[in-house]
Amino acid sequence: MIFKHLKELYAYRNLIWQLAWSDFKLRYKNSMLGYFWSLLEPLLMLLVLYVVFSNLMKIKVEYYQLFLFVGIILWGFLSRATNSGMSSIVGKAGIIKKIYFPRDIFVISSCITALLMSIFESLVFVMFMVFYRVPVSINLAYAPFILLFLCIISLGLSLALSALNVFYRDVQFIWQVIMQAGFYLTPIIYTIDIFPKDLQRFVLLNPIARIIISARNTIIYSSPATMEDLLFMLLSSVVFLLVGYIIFFILEPRFAEEI
Amino acid sequence: MMAAIEVEHLHKTFRIPHEKRTTIFETLTGAFNPPIYENFHALKDINFTVEEGEALGIIGENGSGKSTLLKIIAKILHPTAGSITALKKLTPFLELGVGFQSDLTAAENIKIYATIMGMQKREIDNKLDDIIEFAGLEKFKDTKLKNFSSGMHVRLAFSTAIQTDPEILLMDEVLAVGDMEFQQKCLDVLSQYRKDGVTIVFVSHDLGAVRRFCDNTLLLNKGEQVVLGNTGEVIDRYVYGGKNEASEAANSSEIQNELEVAEIEVKSEDKNPRLGDKKIEITNVEFYDKFNNKGARFNAFDPMTVRIFYNAYKEIFNPVFGIALYSEKGENLFGTNTELKNASIDSLEGKGHIDLMIERIPMITGRFLLTVAVHTHDQKPYDWHDKRYSFDVIPTSRDVGLFEVPCNWKI
Repeated sequence: MIFKHLKELYAYRNLIWQLAWSDFKLRYKNSMLGYFWSLLEPLLMLLVLYVVFSNLMKIKVEYYQLFLFVGIILWGFLSRATNSGMSSIVGKAGIIKKIYFPRDIFVISSCITALLMSIFESLVFVMFMVFYRVPVSINLAYAPFILLFLCIISLGLSLALSALNVFYRDVQFIWQVIMQAGFYLTPIIYTIDIFPKDLQRFVLLNPIARIIISARNTIIYSSPATMEDLLFMLLSSVVFLLVGYIIFFILEPRFAEEI
Repeated sequence: MMAAIEVEHLHKTFRIPHEKRTTIFETLTGAFNPPIYENFHALKDINFTVEEGEALGIIGENGSGKSTLLKIIAKILHPTAGSITALKKLTPFLELGVGFQSDLTAAENIKIYATIMGMQKREIDNKLDDIIEFAGLEKFKDTKLKNFSSGMHVRLAFSTAIQTDPEILLMDEVLAVGDMEFQQKCLDVLSQYRKDGVTIVFVSHDLGAVRRFCDNTLLLNKGEQVVLGNTGEVIDRYVYGGKNEASEAANSSEIQNELEVAEIEVKSEDKNPRLGDKKIEITNVEFYDKFNNKGARFNAFDPMTVRIFYNAYKEIFNPVFGIALYSEKGENLFGTNTELKNASIDSLEGKGHIDLMIERIPMITGRFLLTVAVHTHDQKPYDWHDKRYSFDVIPTSRDVGLFEVPCNWKI
């Protein structure tokens, strides 16, 4: 069944891309300047957090600006993917009521849109890396896998949220609160060392925390990802995707009626 | 022949909550107070097969479940029970321009829409210019859709949609939008698809189009399958309420009785003047169709009988019965009486009726008003019912106007 669905999705690959690309263009209203405006938000956030936490809070971390930037980009991707994924079914009511194709296409393509948006930020990040002459090593090879795990987790979350959002419109507000809290509970602006050991284990139950920490280690600090982290990320992305799809496919048959 | 679509014992029930809960909060607070649902049976036990290359029409009143059925075939809605198998690729034309984004350009929208309609990338790239040219929008290729008029919008959507290469085409009232020229274009495309052997399921109110394109037709009434069969017979059944067969079966279904009461009753409009000394009174006027059933809806070009009931309270010599036909706007279209048709009546007394036999209704479509009168030889009315009766004519061809003029083309 999974294989059959994958085959169907592959047949619709062109549609997935068209939807993702047109959403991406729409978001910037076809203007080149629009792309730059969208960079302003993460850069401003980076600046504020950097000034506050490196001077006032006296956080001493090597390459703190890059340390922060990785967290902002990855968290930003998660937040964008889940938020646009969540409204991808409700927002496409006009299509869903008039034509059939696998409904998860909408969620997948909205996650791709979020990915496209994050790529811009990543390009700026690369410039930062070059500017600060950060050495890179072979351990960078771990990074794509870590990012893939993040994408899969985001997709799983988006699938569940998009389906629930059709039936319960307050899911959006609840999710906003969760994301807000998550931003501070995930080691984005601080290192995990600020917690005592027992608490650290608790924080590391959050797969996003592990993803951000391992991404930093492999990209900025040239150290390899630990096997434990990789396994945990792999396992959690499988679980998130599976649970997401199960919720989605249970609710999917009633989408066209409930929207 | 192979079946393209098989529908077996299909049921669709919508659960309509009295009070819709759309938030988690409402669901939690209402947990001890379960919501009350109203079950609406949109479709009940539908069975049919569409053969490959066949065109099936689906007709019925508004709310009879036509569109729901089409949406279930298109996999947009899921059936409550029963099964549906489509053995070929479905292309639904339920609405033109699905997924159009007003902030994107014409070319971009064509790409998205064509992709939604199942076209491959290379095909789209090849046909892009054709599509724009066919829509007559060459100058506006890079104009954003929001600057288009609704006519341009429809043209763009239509010329994109017809580029698809359907195996099974599902069409719902697409013809209902647009002007005559556009409707004609749609019908041309439809007949081309028919020639190419595309299987078509066509939902429409346009009985003329259904008659022209569909081999078989399914008539639905309040979600039930009334009859499936040859298009001409099914349309007759629809227009005349199917009394001919229903009356044979003693336990005729409730629906048809309702139909009769609700719609086929001859309407007499009391506000219109009634003149005369009523020495002879016209007590009732009834219309009969070709199956001898009472009705007020007739297929164009079908026979019809107008039955006038009278009561002569004393013996009357040389009475003249007459009718006058009016369009809904009140133009007098036709008038005749017994004297003009050389059917003179020497004398009348008591109750009785007189029939006006119409061999062929020449009107094409619309509502028509009838004046019925009985008067003396020198036009002094006994009873004159001015435009008090009306009936509807359902089109069966695509000619336009009020009347058919018998004619042929010769080259």
